[in-house]
Amino acid sequence: MKKKIGIILCVLLVGVWLSGCATTQTVQKPYRISPQGTVIWEDEFEFAPPPLGWKLLLPEEGGDINIGFMKMDRGPFPSSTTFAYDEEPFGCSTQFEGREIEFFKRFLFNAVFQFQILERKKVQVVGGEGLAVTVEGKDPVKKEKVRAKVIFGKRGERVIGFYITQWRPLDGNYDLSAFEDFDKFVNSFKFLKKSFYETL
Amino acid sequence: MEGHQRNLYLYERFNARVLGVSRDDVTTLKYWAKGLGLTFPLLSNVTGFLGFYFHTQPDGKPIFARRTVVIDKSGVIRYVRDGSPEFKDILLFLKKLNQEGGKS
Repeated sequence: MKKKIGIILCVLLVGVWLSGCATTQTVQKPYRISPQGTVIWEDEFEFAPPPLGWKLLLPEEGGDINIGFMKMDRGPFPSSTTFAYDEEPFGCSTQFEGREIEFFKRFLFNAVFQFQILERKKVQVVGGEGLAVTVEGKDPVKKEKVRAKVIFGKRGERVIGFYITQWRPLDGNYDLSAFEDFDKFVNSFKFLKKSFYETL
Repeated sequence: MEGHQRNLYLYERFNARVLGVSRDDVTTLKYWAKGLGLTFPLLSNVTGFLGFYFHTQPDGKPIFARRTVVIDKSGVIRYVRDGSPEFKDILLFLKKLNQEGGKS
C-alpha cells in the first residue's frame, strides 16, 4: 500500500477571479515557420496556418487560450469569428462526455444562451479519439447568435480542446468556410513533445 | 478550483491532499462544488478565524484573499503564494516534497 506522507495543500480563496483574456498586443514571437510552411509554436505544437485574413491572437499569461486566430467578418456587429487551441478547456472530467457537459455550462459565459446541439460525433484528433460538438446559441435580448464547434481530444491523461465561435446578428448568415479553415487547422495540429503534465 | 480538480490524479501521485477554505457557508459551498464538479473537501469557515491564522483576512472584508499554502507531514508550512494558483509551480513543489519524504 502506497505510503501517504500527508502533505496537505490548503487553498484559501474567495470572491471572483477574473482571468486574463487574449489580446492582439505585440510581444516577442513564440513561433517560427518550418521549411514545409507549417507553424512551429514554442517547439511544442505544429500546425498549418490558416489562410490570409486570419489574425493571430497572442495569449496573455494565465489567459484562456494557448493559440488563437480571429477575423472580423463583413456585416454589422458582432460579425466576427475566432478559433483557438485550449490546453485547459472548462471542466475537469477526463471523459469526453462528462467534459462536454461541464464545458458548455461555462462556454461563452453561458447564462443567457440556450445552446442547441446541431451535430455531435466521434472524430480522430491529434492522433487519437475525440469528440466534436457543433452548437448554435441565440440571445434574443441582444439579438445576436453564435455558431460554435468544439472538438475535445486527449493529450496524455488530460482533455484538451479546439473551438471556433462565429458571431452574427440574429438575422445574419454564417460563413461556413471559416469552419473549414478551423477543421484544417485542427487536422494539421501535432504535439511535438510531451506536455508538462506528462513529464511529472 | 477547477485546476485543482484536474490535477487531483497528480496530487495523489505525490501523496498530497487538497482542501479549499472559504468563508461561505456549507450550503453555498455544496452548490458551488456541485456546479464545478469538485470532489475534494471544501471547508466552510464562516467566522473567518483561519484567515487570521493564514494572514488572508483583509481588514473589514467578509472574504479571504486568495492564497495557496502547502503544509508538509510535520505540519510545517513549506509553500505560500498569493493570488491565483500557479498550478505548474505547485506540482513541481509537491513532486520535490514527495521525493524528500520518500528519502526520510
